[in-house]
Amino acid sequence: MTARAIARLDLKRLYVRPFAWTLAAIALAIMAWLFLTDLNLFLALQPKLASQEGNLGFTDIVSAQHLLAFVQLSLLIAPLITMHPIAGERRAHTLPLLFAAGLSPARILFGKFFAALIYLWLLLIGVALMPLTLAHATTPDWGQFGAALLGCALCVAALVAIGVACSAFASHPALAATAALLIALILTLLDRGAQISGVQSGWLEYLALPTHLTPFLHGLVRSVDVIYFGLIIALSLAFAARRLAAEKVRG
Amino acid sequence: MPSASPLLLLEHVGRRLAGREVVADVTFSVARGEVLGLLGVNGAGKSTTLAMIAGVLAPDSGTVKLDGRDVQELSATARARIGYLPENVPLWPELTVREYLEACGRLRGMERSSRKRAIDRELLRLDLSGMADRLSGQLSLGQKRRLGLAQALLHDPELLVLDEPGNGLDPVQTTQLRELIRTLSESRATIISTHVLSEVEAMCDRVVILHEGRVRFDSPLAADRGALDRAFLAIARGNAKAPA
Repeated sequence: MTARAIARLDLKRLYVRPFAWTLAAIALAIMAWLFLTDLNLFLALQPKLASQEGNLGFTDIVSAQHLLAFVQLSLLIAPLITMHPIAGERRAHTLPLLFAAGLSPARILFGKFFAALIYLWLLLIGVALMPLTLAHATTPDWGQFGAALLGCALCVAALVAIGVACSAFASHPALAATAALLIALILTLLDRGAQISGVQSGWLEYLALPTHLTPFLHGLVRSVDVIYFGLIIALSLAFAARRLAAEKVRG
Repeated sequence: MPSASPLLLLEHVGRRLAGREVVADVTFSVARGEVLGLLGVNGAGKSTTLAMIAGVLAPDSGTVKLDGRDVQELSATARARIGYLPENVPLWPELTVREYLEACGRLRGMERSSRKRAIDRELLRLDLSGMADRLSGQLSLGQKRRLGLAQALLHDPELLVLDEPGNGLDPVQTTQLRELIRTLSESRATIISTHVLSEVEAMCDRVVILHEGRVRFDSPLAADRGALDRAFLAIARGNAKAPA
C-alpha cells in the first residue's frame, strides 16, 4: 500500500513537471524519425529481400531494430528520470517525511522504482505502437515482436534499477545521473573490446547487456537472459535499500 | 493538564553523527496534555533528538519509547501516532497545497474519505484554505511552515514533534501559532524545539535545556521566569554544571 502511495506520488510529480513531458516529446520525436529511416531502408531493400530464401522480414529490419534503438536511447533517458527519486528527496529534505511515515527503505525504493519504470514503459508502448501501425500492411512475426518487446521491457527495467541505486548513493541528482549513465555504458560496451580484438571472453560476454538482449530481438526467450535482468534489478534495489537503511542508522 | 503516565520516554539516548557525539545520555519523558520545550543554542542536539523521537534516525544507544514500545520497532500504522515537522519543511514544490496534503495522507495510509475530511480540517485550522490550489513551492516561508504543520497534524497524532516551528513566522503568525499549539496540546503530547526563550515561556509547561548534546536542565516552567532566563544563559555560556 505505501509503496503504491510512493509510486503514485512520484508519478504525480512526473506528470506535473515539464521536464518529464519535454523528455518524452524529444524521445518520441527521435524514435519517430528513426522509425521512418528504418522503414525507408526496408522499402529500399524489399525487392532484394523478396528474392532470397529465409529472408529477413519487417519485424527483423524495422520492429526489432526500432525497439533496440529505444533501449539505446534509454541509456540516457533512464538516468535523467531516476536521478531525482532519492538524491532529489535528500536535497529537498523530504526523506525524513518518508521515514517518519514509517516507510521501510525497501518500500520507498520499490515505489520509486515502479514510478520511473511506468514512465519508461509508457514510452516503450508509444515506441512499440509505431511499427504496429503498419501491422495491417505487413506480415509481422508476432512471436518475435512479443519477445523483443519483453526483452526491451526487462532491459529498461534493469536500467531504471541501476538509476535508482545510483540516486540512493549520490548526494546530488547530477552525480546520480552521471554514475547511472557510466554504469549502463560500461555494461553495454563491456565485451566490445574483446570482440574487436577477436578474443572470446566468457564472463565479460556474460556480463554485457547486449549478450542478453540480442536473443530476445531474434525472438528467443531464454531463462538465462530473464534471470540476468532479474539479477541486475534485484541487486541494484538491494544495494540501494541497504544504503537508505544505513542513512537512517548513520545519519 | 498533563496526565501522570508518560506517553514518550527517552532513556539514556545517545547518537553520534560524522564521528561527533551529538546527543549523549539524554533522558526525559513527556505526558499526554503536556507541552515540552526543548531549549538550546544552535548545535545543542535538539534536531537530532527530535529526529530520533520521530523515528527518522536510530539512536546509537538508549531507547525512545512511545507508550512503552520502541519507536524504531513501530509499524507504519503505529507510527501514525506521531506527527513530525522537521526544521526544514519537507515540501514537493511542484505539487499544490491540496495535492501535497493528499500525498502525505496517502503515505500515512489514510482512507480516502478520512483523508479528505482531515485535509479540509487542517486547511481551515491553519488558514490555508485560500491557497489550496497554489503550488507549495510558491508559498512564503511562513505559509510553508503552516503547511508543514498541517502535514504533521493531518493524521491526528497523539504526539506532536515540532522542530523550530516558529522559524520564519511574522509576529502575527507567531501569536497564532502559539495559540494553536496551546489548543492542540490539550489532547496530545507536544514537543517543541527552539532556541528562543520567549517561545518556551509562551507555549510550554515544562522545559528541557540541551547543551552540547546533554540534558542540563529539566523542570516545569516556574512562576519565576527570571530563574529560567538565568539558567539558560548560564548553560549557554558554559558557566553551569550538568545536574547530578
